[in-house]
This record gives sequence, C-alpha cells and structure tokens, in this order.
Amino acid sequence: MSGKICSGNLIESLQRIQEKQGFLPRDSLIKLSRDTRSPLSRIFGVATFYHQFRLEPPGKVTIAVCMGTACHLRGNAENYEFLRRFLGIRPDRSTSDDGLFSLEKARCFGCCSLAPVVKIGDMLVGKATPRELQKAISRVRESILREEAARGAGGGKT
Amino acid sequence: MKVRINGLEVEAREGERILDVANRLGIRIPTLCYLKNVYEGASCRICVVELGNGKLIPACAYEVSDGLTISTDTPRIRESRRVTLELLLSAHRITCQNCPKKGECTLVELCSEYGVEGIPVCAECPLHGEDCFIARSEICLGPITASGCKAECIRDGRTCEGCRGPVTRRDVIEWARGIYIEHGISLEAVLEKLKTYCASSREFDLIREYLVVKEVVEG
Amino acid sequence: MMRQEYWTLMDPCCDYCLHSRDNPCAKYVVCRMRGPFCHRSVECREKRQRRIREVLYGSQGVRINIGASSCGLAAGAERVLEAVKDGLRSMGVEAEVSAVGCLGLCFMEPFIEIQSEDGPSPIYGYVSPENVGDILARYFEEGSVDGAFAIRKRTGRFKDEDKVPLLDELDVWRKQVKWVSRNCGVINPESIEEYIVTGGYEGLSRALTMRPEEVIEEIRLAGLRGRGGAGFPTWLKWKICREQPSEEKYVICNADEGDPGAFMNRLLAESDPHRVLEGIIIAGYAIGASQGVIFVRAEKPLMAARLEKAVEDARRWGLLGENILGSGFSFDVRVMRSAGAFVCGEETAMIAAIEGRRAMPRQRPPYPASKGLWDKPTVVNNVETLAHVATIMAHGWREFAKYGTERSKGTKMFCVTGGVKRTGAFEVPIGTTIRTLVYDIAGGPHEGRRIKAVQIGGPSGGCLPERLFDLPIDYESLQEAGAIMGSGGLVVIDDTNCMVDVARYFTSFTLAESCGKCIPCRVGTKALYDRLSAIVEGMSSQEDLQLLEEIGIMMKEAALCALGGTAPNPILSSLRYFRDEYEAHILEKRCPAKVCRKLVSYAINRELCVKCGLCAKSCPVGAIAKTADGYFMIDESRCIRCGTCVITCPRGAVEKR
Ligand SMILES: Cc1cc2nc3c(=O)[nH]c(=O)nc-3n(C[C@H](O)[C@H](O)[C@H](O)COP(=O)(O)O)c2cc1C
Ligand code: SF4
Ligand code: SF4
Ligand code: SF4
Ligand code: SF4
Ligand code: FES
Ligand code: FES
Ligand code: FES
Repeated sequence: MSGKICSGNLIESLQRIQEKQGFLPRDSLIKLSRDTRSPLSRIFGVATFYHQFRLEPPGKVTIAVCMGTACHLRGNAENYEFLRRFLGIRPDRSTSDDGLFSLEKARCFGCCSLAPVVKIGDMLVGKATPRELQKAISRVRESILREEAARGAGGGKT
Repeated sequence: MKVRINGLEVEAREGERILDVANRLGIRIPTLCYLKNVYEGASCRICVVELGNGKLIPACAYEVSDGLTISTDTPRIRESRRVTLELLLSAHRITCQNCPKKGECTLVELCSEYGVEGIPVCAECPLHGEDCFIARSEICLGPITASGCKAECIRDGRTCEGCRGPVTRRDVIEWARGIYIEHGISLEAVLEKLKTYCASSREFDLIREYLVVKEVVEG
Repeated sequence: MMRQEYWTLMDPCCDYCLHSRDNPCAKYVVCRMRGPFCHRSVECREKRQRRIREVLYGSQGVRINIGASSCGLAAGAERVLEAVKDGLRSMGVEAEVSAVGCLGLCFMEPFIEIQSEDGPSPIYGYVSPENVGDILARYFEEGSVDGAFAIRKRTGRFKDEDKVPLLDELDVWRKQVKWVSRNCGVINPESIEEYIVTGGYEGLSRALTMRPEEVIEEIRLAGLRGRGGAGFPTWLKWKICREQPSEEKYVICNADEGDPGAFMNRLLAESDPHRVLEGIIIAGYAIGASQGVIFVRAEKPLMAARLEKAVEDARRWGLLGENILGSGFSFDVRVMRSAGAFVCGEETAMIAAIEGRRAMPRQRPPYPASKGLWDKPTVVNNVETLAHVATIMAHGWREFAKYGTERSKGTKMFCVTGGVKRTGAFEVPIGTTIRTLVYDIAGGPHEGRRIKAVQIGGPSGGCLPERLFDLPIDYESLQEAGAIMGSGGLVVIDDTNCMVDVARYFTSFTLAESCGKCIPCRVGTKALYDRLSAIVEGMSSQEDLQLLEEIGIMMKEAALCALGGTAPNPILSSLRYFRDEYEAHILEKRCPAKVCRKLVSYAINRELCVKCGLCAKSCPVGAIAKTADGYFMIDESRCIRCGTCVITCPRGAVEKR
C-alpha cells in the first residue's frame, strides 16, 4: 500500500530525473515512458503542468525573483524588470545569451519579512534593490568566470 | 428516492445525475463538455442548475439525493450561462468557416438562445481563403456584423453590407481589424460603409474606437 | 546530530529496560519523563532526570539558541551560529549551541537566546557575526543583559535586568497565546528528545488508550475547525470518514502552503515537526487509517527535510510503524514533495498529484472523506489543524476551548507582512480584532505612513479597509465583510500601495495558477486581468467596473473549485471598499498612490538635483536632456516611464508626480 504511493508516482520519477540532470531531457522522458509503460503524452502532460519542471537546460546560476505578495508590494516587479534588462535576457527566453544566468519568477520563499527577496543560486538576497542585485550578480559572474578560467588553464582538455 | 425538479416531484435512482433525471423528464439542460462515459469532468459549467439551498452546481456531475430540490431555469442560471458563453466566446477563435460544423454548432445555438452576440457573419459564410471578398480586396462587413442571416448576401455574390448591425465585442473587432489590415483594406472605408446600417452613433463610435485607435501592446 | 553517540533519553536506560520496537509498551513516552516503570531503579531514574535537564539547558547548564529555520537562515543564522561558537571558544566558555526553530519575530531575525536554569533568558534580535561577540562577552564576562530585546524572567542576578523589558510585558508577546506554537523557537526541531521533554507524544499516548470514537468526541468538544481555510469542523470530517465501510483509508497532511505571503505552516513544521506528525498519527487512529502522506510545497525544502527527519526518528523509536506503543494500531507516514502548483492545495487536486497526475480538481461531492486517494476514504487536514489535534489531546479540550469565540474555538496563527513595523507570525485567539493584530502586535505602520487596508487570506481573500479593523477575526465575520480567513496570511497595505494594482497582482497570480479545467476560472481570470490591466494603464471606461462585477459574481457561483470561486474576492472587495480608487484611474486617469506606471509622470526636483547627469545617461530612450541652466529635465512626451532614472539618481531627485 505504501508501495503503491511510492513506486508508481510519476511526479517523483520526474523529480529524480531533474535532480540528476538539471532539467528533463526529451530522451529521458521517452525512456521513462517505455519503462513505466505510460504514454508519453501523459508524461509531458505532467511535466508541463508543474512549475518545478524544466524542459530546457538552465543557466549555470538560476536567479529566482519572488513574486509573492509581500515582495510584490515592496517592489520586486521592478527588480525583475531590472534584472531582465541588466542580464540582457531576450523576451522569449529565460536564459541570458552567455548561458550563465537564467531568470525565473518564484512564488513566496516564506521569508516575506525580508521582502523583497531574490535568490541567486542558493543565496537569498533580502531587501533587494537593483543596486545591490547588480553588485551581487557581478560578484557571482566574476567568480564563475574565474573558476572557468582556472579550469581552462589547469585542465587542458574539457 | 424522490427529488423535486422545477416543482415536479419525481422518482430518481441512487447514483443518478441531475442531468439524467432531467433528460428522462424531457427537461432540457444545455451541455457542452459532457459526453457520457467519455468526458464527465464538469468543465464548461454551462449545465449549472440551482439547488434549494441557492447553490449553483453542474447538473452533469451532481448526483441526486433524496429530497433534493432543483430548478433548471431561473434568472440567476440564465445570467451565469450567459456570462459563461461570453467568456467562452472571448477565448474562441472565430474560424467557423473552417470548422466542419460550419457555424451550426451547440455553441452558436446557445449564444443566440442566451442573447450573446459576438459571432460575426464570417462564421456562416461559405467563402474562405482566396475566395473571401476581403482577400479579393473588396470591402465586406462580414467580420464586424452580427451573424444570423446565414450570410445570405454573400451566397448571392455580394459583400456583406452590415444590415444586421455590428458586433460590438472588442475581441471580435480586434480580430476583424487584423484581417482588414492584413489585406490592406482601409479602415476608413470600412467605417464609411458601416454608416449605412449602423443604427446608433454610440455603437459606431465604439467600433471606430476599437478599430482605429491603436491598442497599447501589452507587457 | 552529535548527540546520537551519547545515551539519549529515547534509548533503554539499562539492560532491564524492556521497551523496544518488537516489544512496544503503552507507557513508553511517559516512562521517559517519569519512569522507569518497568523496573525499579533509583539510578536509572536519576540518569533520566539528569538527561532531561541536560536537554533543556545543555550539559554545562547554559544553552544558546539560534533561530535557524528558512527565514533565519536567509537572514544569516548560519554565520551567526559559527560566530557564536568562535566567540565561546575564545572566551573559554562551555555552552551548548543549539539551532532551534523560529519564534515568529521575523522583524528581528536572526535572533539568539541564552538559556540557563536560573538565568533571565535574554533574547537578542538583529544579531550578526559582527555583534555577537559583544553580546556574549557582556553576558558571560560582565554578567549583563544589556542590549537584549527582552528577557523571559527577572532573576536579579544579572546587571541591567531592569533596563530590558520582560518578554511577557511586550505588546508583541503579551497579546499572543502560544498554544500550538509553544515550542517554536524553543526546541531543536531535529531532536525528538527535546520534543518529548516538553511533553511531546503524550497526546498520542493518551489517544491510544481511548477508543477512536472517544478521540473524535474530544475534538468535537474542543470545537476545532480546519485551519486550512474553509473552517470545516475537524471532528465531523473524521466522523464521516470513520463511518465509511472501507478497509483502506488515508490521512493527508496538507503542507502545500501556497498563499504567497503566508508562512505559518512552514514555520510550524520547521520548528516543531513532531507535533504535526503526532497529529497525523492521532488522526489516523481516529479514522482507522493505516497510511498517511505529508504533501509538502516544492519551494519549502527545509520543511520537507525536517518532517522527513521527524518521520524517521518516530519510526526508529516505535512511535510509527507496526503496533504503535503496544496498542495494536499500525500506521506509517511518508513525505511527498510537490512539484509546485498552487492548485495542489485544493484537496482533490492534491489527491491527483499524490496519484501522480496533473493536479486538477474534480467536482465535489463525492468528498474525499468518502472517496479520496485511490478512491478510498481520505481525510485531508492542514498542518496547523493537525498540530492543534496533538496539543488538544495532550492538554485536554477544555484548555483549548478556553480561547476563541462562541462558534470558533482556540487560537490561530497569522502571518503579518507588508507595511508594518514588526512583520512576523503571531498566534492569537480567534476573535482577536484586526486592530490588535496589526497595531498592537505588529506595531502599526512605518514612520510617516498610513495603513489603508489589510488583505486577509491571500489571493482567495479580500481586503478590509481601516475603518473595519475592529472586526473580530473569525470565519463568519470575515466572510460577511467579503474576506476569508484563508490560511492566515495578512498583508498590510499602506498608502504607498494602490488597491487596483494589488487586485491586479492577485488576479495575475490566480490567472497563472488556474489549472485550466473549467471555463469560469480559466477564461474568467484572464478577462478580469485584462480589464484590470486596462484600468491601470488608463485605457478603460466605467463599463469595465460593471464587467468586473458581472464576471466576478459568475465565477464565484459557477467555478469548479474554490480557486476560481474565490479568485474574484480581491477585486469584489476592493470595489466594495475602494471604488474611489478605481474611479480615479478610470475617470481622471490618475493613480492616487502613484504606483501604476502608465498613470504617473516623472520629473526632476531641482532642489535635490546635483547636476551629475547620471539620469540622462541611464535613460534608455534619451528622454532626459540638460537645460541651459545646467539642470536636467525630462521630456514627458518621450519618457516611457521605465523608472530607470529613479533608480539611478544618487540623490533621489527624480520624483513621481
Ligand atoms: C486553491 C486552493 C488552495 C488551497 N491551499 C491550501 C493550503 O495551502 N493549505 C491548506 O491547508 N489548505 C489549502 N486549501 C484548502 C484545502 O483544500 C482543504 O480545505 C484543507 O486542507 C482542509 O484542511 P482543514 O480542514 O484542516 O482546514 C486550499 C484550497 C484551495 C481551493
Ligand atoms: S469577410 Fe465577407 S466574404 Fe470574407 S468570410 Fe467574412 S463574410 Fe465571407
Ligand atoms: S448585408 Fe445583411 S443579410 Fe447580407 S450578409 Fe450582411 S448581415 Fe447578412
Ligand atoms: S476553478 Fe480554476 S483551478 Fe479550479 S478547476 Fe476550475 S480552472 Fe481549475
Ligand atoms: S522613466 Fe525611463 S524613459 Fe522616463 S525619463 Fe526616466 S529613464 Fe527615461
Ligand atoms: S512574498 Fe516573497 S518571500 Fe514571501
Ligand atoms: S456539461 Fe460541461 S459542466 Fe456540465
Ligand atoms: S523569522 Fe521565522 S518565520 Fe519569520
């Protein structure tokens, strides 16, 4: 009975795939469909229904802007617009052209008292203003580039 | 088990839906999404009926219970259905010419039954694609004229003159505007033609506003 | 974590102790605290009492609590924790450092509390790695509690005790009743021992000695109503489910707190997860279920992790699993993480999600209590409801029913956010007035601001204007006034917020979260949103108000589930109380709060401008130009009202008009 809840659960299978790969690649979904003998349409139906699932690979760092009530009232809509412009993300995309950042809207992180809240990677920025976001993102960008450069220089082939 | 439907007391069986009981009595409740044993998800909400306690519930999904009182046609129900149809239509691409039902569907019927205007003559028009008058650069008022005439003039080989009066739904006019612009028809000329039959200047102003004033593009 | 290596209260005290998972005994929980009962030994008794003190005050008699739930962590609790450890090390003080949950005093996160058996227990707010050293030095070296936010008792043993207010005398605390949140911010949520020491699982022990019908009766007497929104009597739901003839039944704990701006369920489950779990087990016993599911919101991973840990620990000590406490009742629980969709909070949608489908609600009846998960009878209850159950079973219904109003008993947690001085999660008796909550407890508006309204119940609720703040908060009076209690989110709207914009915001939320199954909601939310957008953009006419009402009323009556049925509430209530703001937008093309971008204009205040020209550089359309006298000016006809110049100006000289 508990097995019934565990094993058959499509949502949890998808969560596992996404956890491993960062998104839901088409091939994995086709494989899942074969393994579980459920139609691909059903799997896509579920994958597109929930916000958590991504069908495109994400940027290196995900920036999530809280669109909850408290954050909205304290100005996160403007922060979002600012980030779009600052990161140069095109209207029909969610990832910046350099593939470093993806921008998404999130629902309340439950830290409303720090509103407005923006999450850069795993780091929560409370009481966010465009100026601070700008600083934080530049810092993150530098550290990624530095890391990449280090890997490029030290590793040879990648 | 007994239920009372529009004041009529009738026998009903356990597990029967309100819709089944009504159909058995010949009481018509409109449905759109319901298809027995195929789709019973109660999505369209057109079949709403009123219970004794004042709640509106979908007849196609609600199981009867002993002593239930049901009305199937009250002003509240009609109003609810009307707004539902309005909404449904506002999200409906009016491409009846390309639809196998050729504008003779339950939706169009219900719309005229509930006084929801918003379906333009084009829906009933036999011409499409290249044959459409507009595609031939003639000024046809079909896209902004209320349907119901089965597009008689067009069948007779003339463009629509708009004798049935204009459709005043903003979304329809916006759609029409797109068609006119796409085919390079002058909106001023359309308005000029509209004057022939457009009864009230209010309606005319409204259409002019929707047709000519540029909408601010969202977001 | 480390503690597992030592002997804990949960372990057998000596070889004579008989309790184990294979040999459960009914008194296991009470035995920890007052035992041992199975063998007579003064030594074992003392060993347990010693351990209890150790749990409460640390092995050195001093314990430092740091609030480390999601909110505290976001505010930097982790670094504070390290700093505390460093500080203690450098002073050579030995004290237990413990990560606890959250006191609900969000405005002063991160906080620490220094507890000892006979100390004043000072609580410090706004702690940072930089100032924590000072705090510790003052306390341990100077013996002073100066700088604390409050102390719990006056002992006369510390300096400056009279300078610091007593916690119980502060408005923010005095008017609260810490009933279900009593352990939040006090115990370490990851330790089952600490829960037991504070009386945990005694409610379960008691319930298991009663017949299920008696448990339901106890909840009926308490008068507990669901805290998830609708306020349905919990006992009745249980009774209906109990009476279903099925062999298989389920309990679902609704931890999919989705209302943006509400976080009391998260706070409770992160700070005191065992209380929630205990409630689930009791519910399972009462209805005769053998399996429970906790459905947790995707965005709240720490909540899921803590509940998982609680389940694991409870299982390990035989409080979950086969033959719980020798009662013959077997029950297990698993935690499932949502994949994120607000509509999952609706019970039939949640069931669909647990079954692995798209979370689309279905027409009720049949209600889940008769046809739920896998078509079996299922009880769906909110996190807070279940935590109340555990507390009621431990303390008796009379204690609970002391609080509240005639028709709604007990206490309820509310999250107050938005334009108030003290944001946080507060527990008050039902029937407390909005004014008490907003002004006394949450401290009223920010300096120079005026509170205009509150929005209760999130996107499903409505707004209430200031003049109705003396309304008691209970299910019925809120409903009459056009709002709902909902899960307990309370957003304070001040004069910098525009009511139309707020209504539009909530509608954008429901529009995005509508599952799309039924027409009233799928198309209705879009239609409402379009009309509201037209209003905030100054492209509307009076007819739009009529249209909003027409569609709103139809949705309320005809939508399939409560998401669509309540979606028009923010609009209908603000139309009822703030029609003038709508009319200002429509007739005068003016936004009174200067929020709606298309209806405001920007101008440079010459008194503040320092002629730096940064604004002109930043403007994407080049609408700002230098004038002959060196100042800058905005050309209104070119300005696209993007607001960039406002952000850029270092002096705040660009103003909205
Ligand atoms: C759109 C929608 C969202 C909901 N969200 C929640 C939620 O986040 N938490 C919750 O406990 N109940 C939520 N509910 C209410 C549940 O459907 C259900 O009534 C509740 O869990 C019952 O528990 P209770 O009797 O303990 O209140 C929601 C309902 C709807 C329609
Ligand atoms: S524009 Fe005129 S001719 Fe063309 S489809 Fe419409 S009614 Fe027919
Ligand atoms: S002119 Fe009148 S009758 Fe002819 S197609 Fe148009 S509406 Fe119909
Ligand atoms: S009211 Fe909205 S969320 Fe509920 S079933 Fe209808 S479309 Fe889905
Ligand atoms: S609001 Fe934007 S467009 Fe207008 S002046 Fe400022 S920067 Fe330029
Ligand atoms: S509203 Fe942004 S964290 Fe809650
Ligand atoms: S026919 Fe669609 S809801 Fe009943
Ligand atoms: S500080 Fe913990 S919930 Fe806000």
